[in-house]
Amino acid sequence: MMEAKPSNLPKSFIDQPVVPGDVVLDLSSMANQTIKLGGGLRQDCDALSVMKSGKLRFLKPNKYWVESSQKRYAPSVGDNILGIMVDSKADNFLVDIKGPALAYLPVLAFEGGTRRNIPKFEVGTLLYVRVVKANTGMNPELSCTDATGKAAEYGPLKDGYMFESSTGLARMLLNSPTCPVLETLGKKLSFEIAVGLNGRVWVNAEDPSTVILVSNAIMNSESLSGLQQKIMVDKLLQRVQ
Amino acid sequence: MNIKMEQRLANTWKMTVNEKKFIETALVADIRVDGRRPFDYRRLTIKFGREDGSSEVQLGQTHVMGFVTSELVQPYRDRQNEGTLSIFTEFSPMADPSFEAGRAGESAVELARIIDRGLRESRAVDMESLCVIAGKLVWAIRVDLHILDNGGNLVDAANIAALSALSTFRRPEFTLGGEGGQEVIIHPPEVREPLPLVIHHFPIAVTFGFFGDDNIVVIDPTHKEESVMGGRMIATLNTNGDICAIQKAGRVAVMHTVIMQCLRIASVKAGDITSKIKNAVESYNTERALRKIKRHSSAALDVHKPVADWETQNQSVDQKRMSDLPGHQERLKPISKESGVSQSNNMEGESQSSENVDMRFKSVSIQKLQCSFNLLAGVLTPNKPPEELTDEKPSETESDQLNADIMPAHSPDGAVGSVVETNRKNTLADAVKPKHKRKKKSSSNIDAS
Repeated sequence: MMEAKPSNLPKSFIDQPVVPGDVVLDLSSMANQTIKLGGGLRQDCDALSVMKSGKLRFLKPNKYWVESSQKRYAPSVGDNILGIMVDSKADNFLVDIKGPALAYLPVLAFEGGTRRNIPKFEVGTLLYVRVVKANTGMNPELSCTDATGKAAEYGPLKDGYMFESSTGLARMLLNSPTCPVLETLGKKLSFEIAVGLNGRVWVNAEDPSTVILVSNAIMNSESLSGLQQKIMVDKLLQRVQ
Repeated sequence: MNIKMEQRLANTWKMTVNEKKFIETALVADIRVDGRRPFDYRRLTIKFGREDGSSEVQLGQTHVMGFVTSELVQPYRDRQNEGTLSIFTEFSPMADPSFEAGRAGESAVELARIIDRGLRESRAVDMESLCVIAGKLVWAIRVDLHILDNGGNLVDAANIAALSALSTFRRPEFTLGGEGGQEVIIHPPEVREPLPLVIHHFPIAVTFGFFGDDNIVVIDPTHKEESVMGGRMIATLNTNGDICAIQKAGRVAVMHTVIMQCLRIASVKAGDITSKIKNAVESYNTERALRKIKRHSSAALDVHKPVADWETQNQSVDQKRMSDLPGHQERLKPISKESGVSQSNNMEGESQSSENVDMRFKSVSIQKLQCSFNLLAGVLTPNKPPEELTDEKPSETESDQLNADIMPAHSPDGAVGSVVETNRKNTLADAVKPKHKRKKKSSSNIDAS
């Protein structure tokens, strides 16, 4: 957060691809207003420059951030993600979240969790979790409860199929309004889906062929526009039926 | 907590229980997670680099690069009149975090062995034609396989990469000369067209994965399937239906009827893949031939055009002016000393604009001479490697330069002398086009300074 002078939004940079070193905003020419910076941006005196490549996003009234798509996940507090249990210790489960370090899931971070009722997970269990701590130099911390201590939808995911995607694709799937792939698929098929912001997607359905169709449709939609996604899904559905 | 172990845990690829279970249940229903049927191969793309003997193969997610090189070595004692073929694999940690840098893992050794067996023991590459002097010198062919991305079924992809790299590779031509015909003269590619290897047949490796106890078979497993499957079999076959090698790993017992069925399927796939490789190689060869024609024509244009314009003037006018303008020569000297290469004179000519036009004339004539000499030199002197000459070059060119400065009457000879030395370093292709570029670049540099 920071103070700045008169507003002069360079409309040209918003929603455009940017690369490290681009100066996207000149604060000296901006009105005395507060702007909020998200990931990928830094302030050098009066210049706002980009630190990673991606698309510059702007949300009214004053939020700026750089959105990028990558295979590795940078944990941030509040994200709903899919983790894989790799080891269990006395106090924590070690969970792989595709990040730079393993995350800790405290054994008590479950609804009504006490020392008596510690859940048992097999190595390789898929968990839908929430990031509660993401500090640099520390392992991130996860929780299987929402802010009020309820289980909500968090916890282990049974059956189904999990595949990995880029973080950008995961974000696209979570966008509202619902992205065209899921919408088109949802009209014809019934399936369950859980999307983790860390680029993991879990799909479940009655029939394995539905799961495979849905997951392949999602993987194919990475670089397609809305209309192309629709056409692609329709084609896939036709081929199956 | 042991940080190092934790780091390793964080870097290894994990598979969830869900995936493992799902892959198996889907296979029971005869479908695979990427939408293929059990006996469908993934999409195969073969690309070639600009140089002969390099290939890039993509099989779905799997990405392998092949590179073939050759050198002259002493043959093995027991095979006095045969060349050698060796396969090396390079597993980059970028391809899969489980690969360790610098140390060949179990899978790297296995991969190299399987491909080596398929290619060498089936005598796919003609070794006798690689003999130079029996018992003394033979060509050693080295195939380097770089795994760029591991998406499963590395063996098939690496095998195809090796075959396609080998079939575009060309070794330099040589002739025997000297006393008793024991001296080997290797001709650079500009002088004599390099020769392709003699490949008798294409041994194609086809991998099958076996799942569970009821012998579910899939072809071309992905890396997810590889981590679930109980066993695998690699059959190496060629289009004639000859089985060159079979490798069966894992604990799963396989019925002999299943193996026979696999071999039948493999021979069909081997036919498909062989024709794919052959098509790719053919289109590479036509492209290569076209490139060659283009290169020659452009070279001819670049050389002769300016020469035709200036040739008549430069010999006389150029030299006269050189002697008429002592001031300008003085200016030239320090620079030519600085860089010590005859090219400095060309750069100078351009950077100093109008009054130095004559210098450019001279440079043009040098180029022309260079080229014509190149053709000569190609026939006469290729038996000495170019490196040996380069060290003596700078001093000589400088002295030639001085020669030209002091005695303008002799300068044509001097120019030729300097050309003789430079030309050995540069090939015909280099002599013409890139030099113009370099000239421009360096002239702008000088301007800036």
